[in-house]
Amino acid sequence: MMNSSGGGGGRMPTSTATSSSTTSRSSWRSTSVSGSGKRIQKELKDLDSQPPPLSSAGPIADNLYHWLATFIGPTGTPYEGGIFFLHILFPVDYPFKPPKVVFKTRIYHCNVDSSGNLNLDILKDGWSPALTISKLLLAIRSMFFTPNLHPYNAVPSIAHLYQVDRKTHNELAAEWTFRFAK
Amino acid sequence: MFKTNNLVARLFERQTHRSTPGTNIHRTRQFYENLVPSYTIYDVECPDYSFRKFTEDGQYLITFNRNYQELVVYRPAWLTFSCCGEDCDTHDLPSRANKFDSFFNQLYCVSLASSNELICKDFFLYMENKQFGLFATSTAQVHDAPTTGGAVPGVPSIEKITFHLLRLEDGLILDKKVFHNEFINLAHNVGVYLYDDLLAVVSLRYQTIHILQIRESGNFVDVRAIGEFCREDDELFLNSSSQHGTITENSEQRQTLVNNNDGVSNNVLQNSFLSGIKQRLLSFIYRGIWNEEADETERIQQLKKRFYFHFQDYVDLIIWKVQFLDRHHLLIKFGSVDGGVSRNTDHYPAFFAIYNMEDAEFVAFYQNSADDLYILLEKFADHFHTSPNKSMHISFISSHSNNLHAFEQLTCLKIKSGSLSQFVKKTLASLPFTCQSQSPSPYFDQSLFRFDEKLISPTDRHRQSTDHPIKFISRRQPKIPRFKIKPGPEAGSSDARAKKISSFLFHPILPLVISVQQTMYLQSSVVNIHFRK
Repeated sequence: MMNSSGGGGGRMPTSTATSSSTTSRSSWRSTSVSGSGKRIQKELKDLDSQPPPLSSAGPIADNLYHWLATFIGPTGTPYEGGIFFLHILFPVDYPFKPPKVVFKTRIYHCNVDSSGNLNLDILKDGWSPALTISKLLLAIRSMFFTPNLHPYNAVPSIAHLYQVDRKTHNELAAEWTFRFAK
Repeated sequence: MFKTNNLVARLFERQTHRSTPGTNIHRTRQFYENLVPSYTIYDVECPDYSFRKFTEDGQYLITFNRNYQELVVYRPAWLTFSCCGEDCDTHDLPSRANKFDSFFNQLYCVSLASSNELICKDFFLYMENKQFGLFATSTAQVHDAPTTGGAVPGVPSIEKITFHLLRLEDGLILDKKVFHNEFINLAHNVGVYLYDDLLAVVSLRYQTIHILQIRESGNFVDVRAIGEFCREDDELFLNSSSQHGTITENSEQRQTLVNNNDGVSNNVLQNSFLSGIKQRLLSFIYRGIWNEEADETERIQQLKKRFYFHFQDYVDLIIWKVQFLDRHHLLIKFGSVDGGVSRNTDHYPAFFAIYNMEDAEFVAFYQNSADDLYILLEKFADHFHTSPNKSMHISFISSHSNNLHAFEQLTCLKIKSGSLSQFVKKTLASLPFTCQSQSPSPYFDQSLFRFDEKLISPTDRHRQSTDHPIKFISRRQPKIPRFKIKPGPEAGSSDARAKKISSFLFHPILPLVISVQQTMYLQSSVVNIHFRK
């Protein structure tokens, strides 16, 4: 059961979407007729008509499987004032497998590990093909307000600090935001 | 301001007539119309050195010996001789005049480079208030260097680059700063900018702007490194705050990945966070687009078109060149990797950004065809030409913002150029300015003299030369050339087709010019001294 469906980016198209746009371009064309491509395109359209608050997402260049999401740190949280860039990488068998989400901006949060990988239930066992990007964006947004403290998802040291000394945790998180997410 | 051209009459006029308030120096500089380096001594007998430049206060002449290991510093003197007889004016110069040593006294000779290092002959910065000189030595460039530890692929590597800080008064080496396996563009001071006592050094290979301070005692002090992190204590903070266990593990992992090399580097890049400066740049661009558009749906469309689509291109931008605008603000040029190393960067896409390093934030971002930046440059060019030495003569370097003739020239070019955007791009390509690249000589003052910028200009560069003398024409009396500078042998060169390269060293104050002409493929050079007899 452990991590059977989630996390791994091994079967990502374009072998985890390289930065060079030429390779990504050719690869998505070859897969664009697939079901996953159609599904992602449809979600993109839905997202346009109903954008979630203070965040946005869209494909990088023309690679449908490699998106960028941006979150503005919500007011009233230690993340206020920061802008967070995230990569969303879709597997070829999306929506049957969850996408992988990686923070490109440093953040002090118990659900983001030291390499920037985001750990949430819905990106693992909690994933269902009925979920969409806009639901995922909402889940990430709520994570800024309340972290998921389940040991399965959380970096233990940060989660611990959050539980025993909220004030220090928030100060640290705010300092991280100030230094690395401005 | 002066009605006559006669020197004596001008001196009398200066005694009896006040100049317009605030133009004292301008009036004094007009005497240069009377004192010109019109006499040429051809093919001066001189040591076979590479002549770099006069310092901006005219105190020193910087030269390097031909194996580029030693620095030789001269003090400009003036040819003196006495003659007995009646008509001294018509007397020929003594035979000694043909010797370099009659014009310059050697102060000292210091060895800077050792064994496999060479002095970078195009690099020299001068700190006038302290009379400190900054020199660089380096080992050879390696072009196919492995991209280790986050180095930008495609940028060559130099095993060792050393900056030497010298007290020019006596040639004492005060301090050294060494960079290992780096690439800093040293040619013509491009990669290093000196402002007051602050030095910005651009590491192309590791995408870091090193800010150093030169203390009064003559020591380098690291102030901060802008790149992976923005504030001086960011890295310390990151390592000390609670995630440590995982962080060190991560960096170790990165290190092993790096050491294994070959192909893994891509992976490393992909898994890493945005560097501090990139995060700030991207969030500045993002905020800009976000704030521009109030309507939510429209905003998303704009973001998708202008930000998301180009995101990877923005991430791939590298720092090309940097200059100080003041003690806190840097003007940074970003571009693609290909353009960073090549000489001609005109046809690569590029962006300009202004970064406040105290607050660690960007304050402006422009495309290289931005009209608003061009207008700033056109009107306030002198604010971009920040000089590290607040000396008088530097502020008289002609620019299109302080000189009507230069402005006319610019306007003329603007009209001639087919498209405005091309012209804007071309003009903006000179930003950020290169530190101390222009001669402050009054003979380049465009309100005094006119000259063909194709043949000679205040910018210190080698130029292809012709056999014709270069004319300097007085602005006030444009009919006849005021003086001519002719590089090369008096009779012209024997082989007219051979390609010849000339360089000119103008003394910033005295009517004294050294011209050096070299023929391609031939070692020997012809050095002429032009002065007022």
